[in-house]
Amino acid sequence: MSFSATMRLDDDVATIRLTGDLDARSAPEFNELVNEATGLQVNRMVLIMDELAYMSSAGLRCLVFAHQKMPPGRDLVLVGARPEVVETIKLTGFDRSVLIEQSTEA
Amino acid sequence: MLGQRLCFDEGAAVNDQVAAFVEQLVGMADLSTGQAYWLRLAADEITTNILQHGYRGGAGRVDLYGSVEADRVWLRIEDEAPEFDPRCHDPGPHLATAPAERPEGGHGLLLALTKLNDFDYDYTDGRNRNTLIMWRPSPLRRSAETENSHDVRDACAHRRRVR
Repeated sequence: MSFSATMRLDDDVATIRLTGDLDARSAPEFNELVNEATGLQVNRMVLIMDELAYMSSAGLRCLVFAHQKMPPGRDLVLVGARPEVVETIKLTGFDRSVLIEQSTEA
Repeated sequence: MLGQRLCFDEGAAVNDQVAAFVEQLVGMADLSTGQAYWLRLAADEITTNILQHGYRGGAGRVDLYGSVEADRVWLRIEDEAPEFDPRCHDPGPHLATAPAERPEGGHGLLLALTKLNDFDYDYTDGRNRNTLIMWRPSPLRRSAETENSHDVRDACAHRRRVR
């Protein structure tokens, strides 16, 4: 499935919606958006993942990259990820570095 | 049995072709959504690892085979890169480091092997042969799966012990 990532900025919060497959091929597109967001000095990055169908280790590296680019103490929030994506994150211990929220509903 | 030869140029991405092959195989079985996901992930990670490390990012050839049997679905990935048994990859040191401080990479084989029901490897006639196995759902099989659940990397540890 093709990948797309779109970003919305609200004050100092960047919300990025991910759709499709995040893998080695699509990773550069996502990293570019992360660079753009962190270049704007955002305090919080929210990734909406309810339409993310698949994430490989290359996609996981993107999340680690996003976390590394955020200033210390600022939140990286993952919202609505499917169970397999959440388990992928937990298997590598990265769940200790991000906030995982189940639903996109506030 | 399904079979497909994939020839990759230097730096090529494999993901879509592997995903299409797995989808075709899964379509012949009745794997759960989760099983289909993990089989795709394992095939994707192992093939990517072959191209990036086995063939060192250069051109290479990977053969995919797969079949649906009464109790299982298997998918075999063969290549002609130097001998490498994925079960011998130890993710321990990598996982011991805080995620944000880890060097790039190192998660792929962990993710590949952890969620498969079984995995087999052999090196024959100059070819690495990785066989990924998912049990097809059935009450008896589900019970056996729970009882026999194990880390496929145990096979590597066993092989080291008997040498």
